[in-house]
Amino acid sequence: MLTAYGYIAIFLVIAIGFGIVPLIISLRERQTRPDPVKLSTYECGVETIGPTWVQFRVGFYLYALVFVIFDVETVFLYPWAVAYGKLGLYALVEMFVFVLLLAVGLAYAWRKRALVWK
Amino acid sequence: MNLNLLLPEISLCVLAVVLIVIDLLLPQGRKSILGYIALVGLAFPAVFTLSLAGVQQVSFSGALVVDQVSVFFKLLFLIAAALVILSSFDYTRRLSILQGEYYALVLFATSGMMLMASTRELISIYIALEFTSITLYVLAASIRNDAKSSEAGLKYLLLGALSSGALLYGMALTFGLTGSTVLNDIASALAQRGISAAAVLGLVFIAAGFGFKIATVPFHMWAPDVYEGAPTPITAFLSVASKAAGFALVLRVFLTAFEPAEKTWLPLFMVLAAVTMTLGNFVAIRQTNIKRMLAYSSIAHAGYVLTGLAAATAGATSGMLVYLLAYTLTNLGAFIAIIAFSGQVGSDQIEDYNGLSRRAPVVSLGLAICLLSLAGVPPMAGFISKVYLFAAVFDAAAKNSGLYYLVVIALLNSAVSIFYYLRVVKAMYFGPAATEESLHTAFSLRVALSAAVAGVLIVGIYPTPVMQAASVAAQVLFH
Repeated sequence: MLTAYGYIAIFLVIAIGFGIVPLIISLRERQTRPDPVKLSTYECGVETIGPTWVQFRVGFYLYALVFVIFDVETVFLYPWAVAYGKLGLYALVEMFVFVLLLAVGLAYAWRKRALVWK
Repeated sequence: MNLNLLLPEISLCVLAVVLIVIDLLLPQGRKSILGYIALVGLAFPAVFTLSLAGVQQVSFSGALVVDQVSVFFKLLFLIAAALVILSSFDYTRRLSILQGEYYALVLFATSGMMLMASTRELISIYIALEFTSITLYVLAASIRNDAKSSEAGLKYLLLGALSSGALLYGMALTFGLTGSTVLNDIASALAQRGISAAAVLGLVFIAAGFGFKIATVPFHMWAPDVYEGAPTPITAFLSVASKAAGFALVLRVFLTAFEPAEKTWLPLFMVLAAVTMTLGNFVAIRQTNIKRMLAYSSIAHAGYVLTGLAAATAGATSGMLVYLLAYTLTNLGAFIAIIAFSGQVGSDQIEDYNGLSRRAPVVSLGLAICLLSLAGVPPMAGFISKVYLFAAVFDAAAKNSGLYYLVVIALLNSAVSIFYYLRVVKAMYFGPAATEESLHTAFSLRVALSAAVAGVLIVGIYPTPVMQAASVAAQVLFH
């Protein structure tokens, strides 16, 4: 029991050291010569326009929600398709019910104008 | 797999989806028909539930059970849903709540609660609980341009998420120790291996998760704020159906899965019951908003019901079922009267109830009957259910003398509660009215209130059928 935990302790020490020791070495050995270009924020190659702490449109959330619904649909459909041969008629009907429910969800989003970018 | 056993839940979900589709097709301004469809449609799950009465069957790999207990609770939820929908007709129109979503979510919540009463396996318990809770979070926030309603929804969501976390942690511990998620297998594993400290920890976390749902001290903090901000019909729904669903789970989990650990949780629930009813009643005295007052009163009632679990006998369990039914009818009646008043007076402050008996005599009488029933005055349902429950707990005191004190505390608390219930009655009947202008109450609200008050009086005067059904149901949990 104790030796088992001992292995974990040794592993922990090595793991932590593995991260910290290179940092210490590079901190001691590197040269620091900062200039304005080097210190500027680098974000995908383009300089940001205006402050980055802006509020996002609530419309994005609606799109994200609709996306998640269909994402989950695919997640369910894949294993169902793989095991289709073994599952039989019951699973087929079940999947139709599932897709129908999602279709109602899409119709709902459509009708409530969640898909229109205002 | 036997789909017949799930017919009540399936028919409710189908009804809800149909309601959403109809909502999409209806032109603006004709939406009020949705409420009627929802109400009439409840007949399907009601018939299916009644057809399952007397069935005793386990299905879906042991995850689902249909027995007398689940049928009792399902009928209770359907009664609550019907009264909530009926009392929402006027309310949703007045506050321009989106009706399609509102009624569909009420139906989804009801089917979630029905699943909660039928599950006997930890994972499906969790899914049923979340299904119910998530729909209720949305419903609590459904007055869209009202800050208090949004606050209620957000608070309920955050605290609810926290409590689900505790519940899951407890379930994980229990599963880890017993190797099963089916309640009966957990019981046999616990009986075989004994109750370790970790098992107690799992039990306590599960109790905390359920304690949030039924709003027992110290997990009651959300109740007053959520009850105050949520749309009043939803407050009524939360205070009766959601609470009863929590009790359905508590009964099943603790009387089956944790039955071998009875010595551990009996004192726990004894203390919880005493603290819950005392705090609920004493804080209710100081409230000036009637919805907050009823929130604390519902906490106190959760305490009364918990005394039955602290006794853990078949008699006390049957007392809990009767009490929950009586409380459901009574509290719904009180909230329906509050909806009627707030629609006309535009306020939920108790001081604005002054002299209402002269402006709206019938609704005032209904509210007075319900408040007296909550206080436990004969011949209302609240009286007979209190007698039935506390007598059963008293009988159980022979093997556990702490229960004597619990019954005494419960009786003292009932006496305290009479004070704040009667304060509202006094305001209505003896307070000075601001104006003498009479108030018009919507027809649907009058029907809903009459139905609730009739239920309160029928159960109060002739409780035998309910008691028989409850005691048959309670036997199931003590095979």
